[in-house]
Amino acid sequence: MTTPSRSSLSARSADHVVAAIPAAWLAVFFLAPLGFTVVFSFARSVFGGVELAFTFENYRTALTGFNGATFLRTIIFAVSASALCLAAAYPVAYFLARHTGRRRAIAVVLILVPYFSSFLIRIMALHMLMSRGGFAETVLNALYLHGGPLDVLDTQTAVFIGMVYAYLPIAIVPLFVVLDRIPKPLLEASRDLGASPLKTFVFVTLPLSRPGVATAVLLTVVPMLGEMVIPRLLGGSKGVLMGQAISSQFLQSQNYALGAAMAVLVLLAVGVMVVLLARLTKGFAEIGQ
Amino acid sequence: MSARGVMGARWGARGTHAALAIWYAAAVLFLFAPIFAAIVYSFNLGVVNKQTATITGWTLQWYPAAWNDLSLRRSVESSLIVAFWSALISVLVGAALGYAIVRHPLARARAVLAALTYILLIVPESVIGVSLLLFYAETGIPLSTATLVAGITPMAIAVVALIVRARVLTLERRVEEAAADLGSSRAKTLWFIVLPQLAPALAAGVIMAYTFSFDNLVVSAFLTTPQINTLPVYLYGSLQYGPSPAVYAAASVVFVFTLSMLGVAALIYRLARRPQSAD
Repeated sequence: MTTPSRSSLSARSADHVVAAIPAAWLAVFFLAPLGFTVVFSFARSVFGGVELAFTFENYRTALTGFNGATFLRTIIFAVSASALCLAAAYPVAYFLARHTGRRRAIAVVLILVPYFSSFLIRIMALHMLMSRGGFAETVLNALYLHGGPLDVLDTQTAVFIGMVYAYLPIAIVPLFVVLDRIPKPLLEASRDLGASPLKTFVFVTLPLSRPGVATAVLLTVVPMLGEMVIPRLLGGSKGVLMGQAISSQFLQSQNYALGAAMAVLVLLAVGVMVVLLARLTKGFAEIGQ
Repeated sequence: MSARGVMGARWGARGTHAALAIWYAAAVLFLFAPIFAAIVYSFNLGVVNKQTATITGWTLQWYPAAWNDLSLRRSVESSLIVAFWSALISVLVGAALGYAIVRHPLARARAVLAALTYILLIVPESVIGVSLLLFYAETGIPLSTATLVAGITPMAIAVVALIVRARVLTLERRVEEAAADLGSSRAKTLWFIVLPQLAPALAAGVIMAYTFSFDNLVVSAFLTTPQINTLPVYLYGSLQYGPSPAVYAAASVVFVFTLSMLGVAALIYRLARRPQSAD
């Protein structure tokens, strides 16, 4: 019986090649650069460059004063914008999963299409909409919701609106997927046992949608932690968040070591979010299969 | 339950439905508003060659203006080139990744690759961007089209891998085993049996990767040079001195282009899927 073992050996080699291609590519163009950032975050910044060392000086600078405040603000901002996104997305996902019937595919596509068109151009247009004399002002004045010129640009509110705008679709999708997979008989059972629709929602649907909630939060909070375009375009000088602060360390101040430490802090914040959200979905591995 | 109670419940359900429908419609309106705005502003006259929030009149002049703007045209050209190479590499590497996550014989290899894909999705783009800048600067590799392409592939690879993975999960493993039993080598099975079955996922993946790469701003912002300037980076830079209305004309064209590409991707995916679900 030499043939099977030989074929299984060659089977392995082909499979190893298939696995090695992405592993090698990503090791060089993704993991190695991240490794550089981690190493340089402990380096010493000297005039005109960086000197390899092992110091926590960069982390101290990154966590105190103006930088520390930016880091804290970024976390609060990302968490609250993500929560707002989730609150806005949940009813949409619920509607898509339960109320769209045969038009469901179109209803889902309508949510996704904007996400696939140019991010920058949408944010630029949002800027135009929100500026003085723009459409938002006209509409709000016509509805008597606001009188006179609209001064929302270059405020934190504008950045908030922009963040929710940009990440709403990717919050809706995981929620929709999970809500769609909740077995119908469970809901019927709840109704047959006399629970009101509200009770069914609170005690059956909501707990079962936890994995979707966790994914939605993850997919929105992570890019928000590193977001640099929306704060710059909509928040002006008042909305500086981590992404922008890091980029200015690299592009303007040329303090690579400090910038690297700030980037590592963002990664750590992401790691903490992942761990917290993983706890939220504990014991859910079997759902939706 | 009394008749009134049933009526009440029905009215309640209808109210919920209406409220949800309104919320959904508002969300769609919100999401589309900037896209419509960009298209509307592409016809706005503006004031002394500057875009204004107030509509000052209608014109078609920005479309030829965008076409004749040399730096805009060059940035579109480099975007097309960068997105082409990025999509090509991402679909090859991403397909291998998506397949290996499901079918690699070693559980540990599958776990490592799945974790890698997960990490690709959760590292903020700005962190990848600065890391790549640092990486290229410290290794002394000069920035070029190639470094830019390599830099934006990781995210596109993750997208392709997820699409391919979803497709591989639906494939019958027994088909591959049958091929092996009939004497096909593993490499031959992959090429002649697995690859054709992945075709719809690959087509969807390549178009998604192309779209994402074409649109990439954050990573590109760190890796472009005055010589290689992609469209999003060019637009981002031009914002400092107020965007020319020509920008919105270019944007409107890109919107239409992107949406038709995605439409084609969806069509290919559905058409290719149909015969399979029939048998």
